[in-house]
Amino acid sequence: MRRSRAAQAALLTFLLAGGSAAAPLVAQAAKAANPLQASARALEPHRVALAKDHAMVLRSQFGLGEPDAFVTRLSFTNTQGQAIVRLDQTHQGFRVFGGQALIHVLPDGTLRTLTQGVQPGVKVEGEPRLSKQGAVAIALRHLAPQGPMTDAPKVERVVFPAKFAGGLAFTQDPVTGKQVLDRKRLVHIQPEQPFVWAYEVRTRVHNRVDAPSELTYLIDGRSGEILRVDNALHTARASAPAQAKAPFAAPATGNGLGFYRGAVTLATTEMNDGTFSLWDNTRGTVGNPQLSGFGDDGSGWAPTGLQVWYASHDASGQMDWNMWLFQGNAANSWGDGQVWNRVPGTENSANGQTAAVDALAAMTTTWDFYANVFGRNGMDGNDTAVFAQVHMNGGYMEWYTDNASWSSWAQGMSLGQGSYPGNPKGLLELTDLDIIAHEMAHGVTDATARFVNAAGLEEAGMAEGTSDILAQGVRAYATRGAGDPGNAIPATGADWKIGENAGHGTPIRWMDKPSRDGRSADAWYDGLRYLDGHFSCGPLNRMFYLLSEGASATQGATNHSPYYPAGFTGIGLDAASRIWFKAVTENIVSDGTGSLTFETAREAALLAATDLYGAGHANVLAVEKAFSAINVGLANGQAPRAQVAFKDWREGDYVEISHFSGWSNKEFFPQGETVRPRVKVENTANTQVAWTIGGPSMYNGAESMVGKGGRINADGSWTTPMEKGWWAITATSQADATQFAEGRAFTINLDADQDLEQDAVDMGTLAFSWYLSNGLSLAHSVFNAPWVDDGDVGAFVDAVKNSWLPK
Amino acid sequence: MRTLGCLISGLMLSLALACGGGSNPAKTQAAPAATGLAYTDPSGTGWRLVKDASSTPTRVVLNLVGPTGLMTRGAGFNLLAPASVKYGTFHVDIPGTTHSTDFPIADTGVYQLLNTDPRDPWTGDPIPTHPLEPTLLAGGVKAGHILTVGIFQKDRRATAKDSGVALARIALEFDAAAGLRAGDILPLTVLKARHQAEDIGPFSVSPTVAMAEKAHLVDMTIALGVLRAN
Repeated sequence: MRRSRAAQAALLTFLLAGGSAAAPLVAQAAKAANPLQASARALEPHRVALAKDHAMVLRSQFGLGEPDAFVTRLSFTNTQGQAIVRLDQTHQGFRVFGGQALIHVLPDGTLRTLTQGVQPGVKVEGEPRLSKQGAVAIALRHLAPQGPMTDAPKVERVVFPAKFAGGLAFTQDPVTGKQVLDRKRLVHIQPEQPFVWAYEVRTRVHNRVDAPSELTYLIDGRSGEILRVDNALHTARASAPAQAKAPFAAPATGNGLGFYRGAVTLATTEMNDGTFSLWDNTRGTVGNPQLSGFGDDGSGWAPTGLQVWYASHDASGQMDWNMWLFQGNAANSWGDGQVWNRVPGTENSANGQTAAVDALAAMTTTWDFYANVFGRNGMDGNDTAVFAQVHMNGGYMEWYTDNASWSSWAQGMSLGQGSYPGNPKGLLELTDLDIIAHEMAHGVTDATARFVNAAGLEEAGMAEGTSDILAQGVRAYATRGAGDPGNAIPATGADWKIGENAGHGTPIRWMDKPSRDGRSADAWYDGLRYLDGHFSCGPLNRMFYLLSEGASATQGATNHSPYYPAGFTGIGLDAASRIWFKAVTENIVSDGTGSLTFETAREAALLAATDLYGAGHANVLAVEKAFSAINVGLANGQAPRAQVAFKDWREGDYVEISHFSGWSNKEFFPQGETVRPRVKVENTANTQVAWTIGGPSMYNGAESMVGKGGRINADGSWTTPMEKGWWAITATSQADATQFAEGRAFTINLDADQDLEQDAVDMGTLAFSWYLSNGLSLAHSVFNAPWVDDGDVGAFVDAVKNSWLPK
Repeated sequence: MRTLGCLISGLMLSLALACGGGSNPAKTQAAPAATGLAYTDPSGTGWRLVKDASSTPTRVVLNLVGPTGLMTRGAGFNLLAPASVKYGTFHVDIPGTTHSTDFPIADTGVYQLLNTDPRDPWTGDPIPTHPLEPTLLAGGVKAGHILTVGIFQKDRRATAKDSGVALARIALEFDAAAGLRAGDILPLTVLKARHQAEDIGPFSVSPTVAMAEKAHLVDMTIALGVLRAN
């Protein structure tokens, strides 16, 4: 990567520009705070110390001892003057993975502690045998990137709770196209002790060959085994930061003509050579971690502020993986308001600048939204600079073209150039306000709730939903008139759609009724987690819409919910936004393993609403009703509704507890056999269910490629497909058709002795290949893999138990 | 066997009619309703299912016993009993949890079901023992009321065991709702039975042709006693 040089500019220019009049987008006080918040901020260091002392006092209650302590991960002071302090748990001075305490210090000095993430009973012996370098090598060997690694992995020694070990990896069977267990990447090690030394190795893959990823590896410090793998990259669709340098360049005000925003005034910077760049250096004083990698070229540039860069392209139109700052503009007039013609070499022409105008305008609006409405100082709360890179395309499977993403690692965004109209189903450039606000909201949640946005987790939907929710707030904020208060969100202005403009009239997501896209869910059900986060966010989005706008009692109305049919009055966008922002930034404690549920979200929102408005306030009751309307919890006075769940599919067996973390709600079945899946039905006398094959996540799943196979027989049994793979089955309550659950089954081949019968006698054949480096026969593995281990043994026994245990 | 049983029953009915002369049929009294099960062990010294002392009047526990001196590493079989007989289970608590499982087969402790060496046989690295380490012990009732059970050693490094003792247990239970009459014969049939022989090739993590040639279970015949309602 490189950046073009700019000529020197005179110091005089800086001084003159600094005194210029402020334009609306330029001069919003980025660190605006109300008087209460401002005075409370002065006390924040003291309150952080108070919170840490308090946590230390509570150690014995947490089940912790002398070697345990807490260090501050982050703190901020909210608009109510409360200090919100997130503490990382440590043991012998090393961070405990998944261990976090959240302490609120109220203005009167009262302390409130949320400790769901604290890991009790930490005890780890000896020292790791592995070095940090060794851990990185193991991670990179496993990652096996085909292209260059442009970012050096980051490594930290941690204490790892064994209960977080595990994780499933999948790959696509090249023959059947089905998604199957990827034995190479399958993490099924069980640490020897409840807590072990480990290294957390964070990697970033960002090149033209590999699928983009930000994988975090947990490597056992003794055995070198991979204990866990998570991906931290957020998308719109399916070294300590350097301190700011004092730039010689000067703040300036430019004019822009965006495709989405039209004519706007832009905060720009006059460089040392007297030309201008799309760099707003009035916001974000702490150096961006990615941009800080670039050296000072004498142009006056620094890695601070909000910056817009572009990807350049080769003659064929493919991104060449160089990034450039939009600069060298002598007139400080940017864009032509037209969609970029995508001609290589014109990225920084007036036509090419149009996307950048939209991007920078959106970034400043979003930044100011957080500063003025919530008193938040940047995405991470630490005033760290943010950048966007536009005109992205290509990459693995054309990943970048019609997508936008937020990198927690880089504190920046990749914004695709889109493929429309060449691709009728493609998008226009992904630089509209709601898309950028969505991505920047990931920066807020990455620093606060720290949702794990990964396959098979309800947290993934919460991450995407929160970004949609806050994007609506930004969108409305951008519509405020001259007389509107700068610290409130106008009641109108939200359109409850995401990406409608980029989608040339068709939104990427609807928030009022997410199922309009035919893929998203409107309400929670057991199995929602199987949807990709961009579809499982539907219930949270709808909850927020109903909380803001209200729900109708009229059946058939868009805002009518069968789960709360009486309807209720909304509390408005401003109040709803404040409640959810507070819930996410102050009340949700993720242990980093994806254990949060929509029920957790409800509790966090109720706590936030109570904190803001007082117990029993109409807004608190509205939160209850809004969550009830998406089938999460009950509003005051509601009778329990029927519930269908696969949550008790397992009985604490080897597969669940020690070998395949994440299998709690999934079961093995033999292929081509007639079986009776179990499901739990509660709160109704009629526990009968209607079975169907397939489920809502079949084509929208985070764990994609799940199939719809076999047949449901007249007696309700399921004849499984005659092939191995993932299958979805759904059970719908016969007492209440709105209640259903989607389950996951993995069919395996038990006929290890190849006599065309699957039975317990087959087990004898597994033993022939058990733990051989290369099995004697593929048939010996229930997965038809080249080896047999306890995974096969556990899966075989599980399939027998699930299918044929005497009743 | 079902077909054969029907033929035999039909033949007996014909004989009875012939003996009775037709004009003055002998009065027969229906057998009383059965209240339990009885099992008579088979004769012989080969593979067989013999009654365990833990049996009760309503639950027949059967031990799988092999030929004395025959060294094996496990066995499995499929048994067909009349639908009027229930397959019993054995309650197994799952260590470290509050859950339990009801398996239709019980381990008698002869076969070494767990990994025998705390080293990974592949890499030689230490591997932890785990209370929930899965074993090749399982069973169930398949469609057609077929009991399928198996118990096998998974670790080649474990020595083979003398088969002349109780190797595993199953249970047959009286079904009070089945309408059985005292004296009813309840035919049992072993549809498939195989064991794992002692010599399955030398232990090596790298497969050899010799190992592959021996990677087959051995068919066997299991002698059954007589099960009747009483």
